[in-house]
Amino acid sequence: MPSVSQSVRVKVLFFGRLKEIAGRTQESIDLPAEADIESLFAHYASHYPELQQYRSSLVASCNQEFASWNTLLHTGDEVAFLPPVSGG
Amino acid sequence: MASPSTDITALVHEPIDPVALEGCVRGNADGAIVIFDGFVRDHSKNRRTLYLEYEAYEPMALAKIQEIAAHLHSQFSIHRVAMVHRLGRLEIGETSVCIAVSAAHRAAAFDACRYAIDTLKRTVPIWKKEYFEDGFVWADGELPPVPSATSAVKPAS
Repeated sequence: MPSVSQSVRVKVLFFGRLKEIAGRTQESIDLPAEADIESLFAHYASHYPELQQYRSSLVASCNQEFASWNTLLHTGDEVAFLPPVSGG
Repeated sequence: MASPSTDITALVHEPIDPVALEGCVRGNADGAIVIFDGFVRDHSKNRRTLYLEYEAYEPMALAKIQEIAAHLHSQFSIHRVAMVHRLGRLEIGETSVCIAVSAAHRAAAFDACRYAIDTLKRTVPIWKKEYFEDGFVWADGELPPVPSATSAVKPAS
């Protein structure tokens, strides 16, 4: 089968200091097919190098559930990068 | 026994009234209510706090609070639960989170309330920004447990 260039479109949300580094609260982004949350984060870290230092102290969510970094993304997914939580 | 549908779970931007919440969970079948009232302290690590700002991933935070409330019913012999967290700017002394649990007997109410606040602080996507005279910091927090990579979602095909 000929390879067809497909992409997925996801919504990305930023919270806490990540929001301040990225300078936005949310955006929609087109990603290559087979993109996972890790590659999505790498995309932003390449644009905002300060993000990289927080990689080990973040968790991610997909569609409002905590998700592993290798979760594959599909069109319509809502991904968020979440700093350590401090409610209460 | 009350069903979880009588529970109150909310994220609010207005002041929380712990006394009103107690009334919401109080029933004639109860013999005990335990209330956790978390409020804004005037200092943090030897610095004088001016005020706090809370933000949340609101739909996910509310869903996680509702999961905690449901879990309380499955794990403890309790009747009703109220869990409310405030967002936005909070002044010193204002309640940021209030949890009220009613039960026939005190032990279950104490245990459930303790479990609820501990789990909220560990798993609910809410963040606290502390403002001081010379700047602000995002409060140190806890990393919620996340599914391991081996349980990753498989691609749809």
